[in-house]
Amino acid sequence: MDKNQILEEVQEIFRDVLDNENIVLEDATTADDIEEWDSLSHIQLIVAIEKHFKIKFTSKEILSWQNVGEMLDTIASK
Amino acid sequence: MVFNSLPFVLFFVVVFTLYWSAPGRAKLQNWVLLLASYFFYGYASWKMLPLLLVSTIAFYAIGRGIYRTENEKTSSRMTSLGVVLGIGLLVYFKYLNFFIDEFSRMLAGFGLENNIHSFGIIMPLGISFFTFRLISYVLDIHHGKYKPTEDFVTFASYVAFFPCILSGPIDRPKFMGQLTAARIFDYDTAVDGCRQILWGLFKKVVIADNCATYVDTVWGDVSAQSGSTLVLAAVLYSFQLYADFSGYSDMAIGIGKLLNLKVAKNFNYPFFALNMADFWRRWHMSLTSWLTDYVFMPLNIRFRDWGQWGMILAIVINMFLVGIWHGANWTYAVFGLYHGLLFIPLILTGAFQKKAKIHTYEKVDVPVLADCIKMFLTFVLVCIGQLIFRANSVGELGLYLAGICKANIISMPYLHYRYIPAFIALIIMLFVEWKSRKQDHALMIQSLNVSVRWIIYITLLVTTFSFSGIPVSYIYFQF
Repeated sequence: MDKNQILEEVQEIFRDVLDNENIVLEDATTADDIEEWDSLSHIQLIVAIEKHFKIKFTSKEILSWQNVGEMLDTIASK
Repeated sequence: MVFNSLPFVLFFVVVFTLYWSAPGRAKLQNWVLLLASYFFYGYASWKMLPLLLVSTIAFYAIGRGIYRTENEKTSSRMTSLGVVLGIGLLVYFKYLNFFIDEFSRMLAGFGLENNIHSFGIIMPLGISFFTFRLISYVLDIHHGKYKPTEDFVTFASYVAFFPCILSGPIDRPKFMGQLTAARIFDYDTAVDGCRQILWGLFKKVVIADNCATYVDTVWGDVSAQSGSTLVLAAVLYSFQLYADFSGYSDMAIGIGKLLNLKVAKNFNYPFFALNMADFWRRWHMSLTSWLTDYVFMPLNIRFRDWGQWGMILAIVINMFLVGIWHGANWTYAVFGLYHGLLFIPLILTGAFQKKAKIHTYEKVDVPVLADCIKMFLTFVLVCIGQLIFRANSVGELGLYLAGICKANIISMPYLHYRYIPAFIALIIMLFVEWKSRKQDHALMIQSLNVSVRWIIYITLLVTTFSFSGIPVSYIYFQF
């Protein structure tokens, strides 16, 4: 799966879980850029992403992401 | 040394002078902090000084080890060693006696008379606070959030930082970022620090110490009190605890400002909380955020497939730990569980995830009725929790609660004119804090006219000296 495709699908998940159609994601996007994205909604996003792509992240992977780009890299590697 | 005492004032005058007489020399300033902190701690408890030093050295070494190793497994093992060591220290000094006594009692309950008894382990002052600094250091390095400090003096001053070592706030390793460059004296920050110290002093001496006399008298003879007195004492205890602890935190933060160092915020006007989740985002913030980052979030991630019930389990464990962090007593365990369970309806309704926002009327700066009711209900729940916290045993708690449920709850509570200054101060505190609710601390009055400011300072000082209660030890020194 190519990264752009993953980005688009993840963006859709963000819009859905955070209930905001205007969210636009880039590689460098972090939680500071999106108001609704806090530590609690972060878990909901992870669950939704895991369900969608049918993958499972490890705790270490989850704690290691500094931005959306790193999250996408992990997804691509699964 | 207690902040509001002559020895401390003398101590701090010396420290302040030495610290600022080395402008532009970070290393020298850090040495002053380190020596001052060790002197401060040694003055309070010289026998435990070696423990502080040795644990600091151990964690400094572990931190460097974790960072240097290329091997993932070794890194994890060293981190675990650090965490186990830190928790081990806490368990040994705080909880071992309790476990031994309970074990002995359990055996006796089974008819196995035994001679097992706890030995006199003395709890080092501040251990609950500095071990948390040490543990967060190794965890942050392991997660790549922080690079270990090359300079031991910087690290040791962070761990032992004297304004905070006895009762917090608990700063994270990024505090050390402030110690790498030389601090330059900032007049506005220093003055703001003085204001915060004054406010903290006022709360502690006028409100907390005076309420303590009333509350201690009541708890000293629970069965003799009317229901209404017990209710009043419960309310006053909540205010006493807040005034004492937030007063101390304000002084610690203010002292930090005099050294141009930013210390973590510990309170955000908790009595304006709209629900229990909101309360815990405003009370003892440095502890709750520590547990959120290192316990709650990892648990939440682990339990994420269990939906809301996963989150509930994570929060109950988290709050249970908040409770027993305070010490080895069943009452603290009950306190923790009580608060954990109160989160359940908030999580199930989704209120937990939402930010609680206070709405005020347009014309008058007063919360809308619905929010007043929420604040009141939250306050009632908090007071009940503080009763659990205050009781020396579950039995004593039961006695107190039974005492409230008596017919004479409809009566005048015990009152005495000596408490009038404290009651007035309490009302003033609530009013001032409401007005300052969006500010870092209640006395950020730099924008007021200079004469008004000085009237306020003098009033507070005179009140503090005239109406000081019988000095009571800071409540959080015992944790």
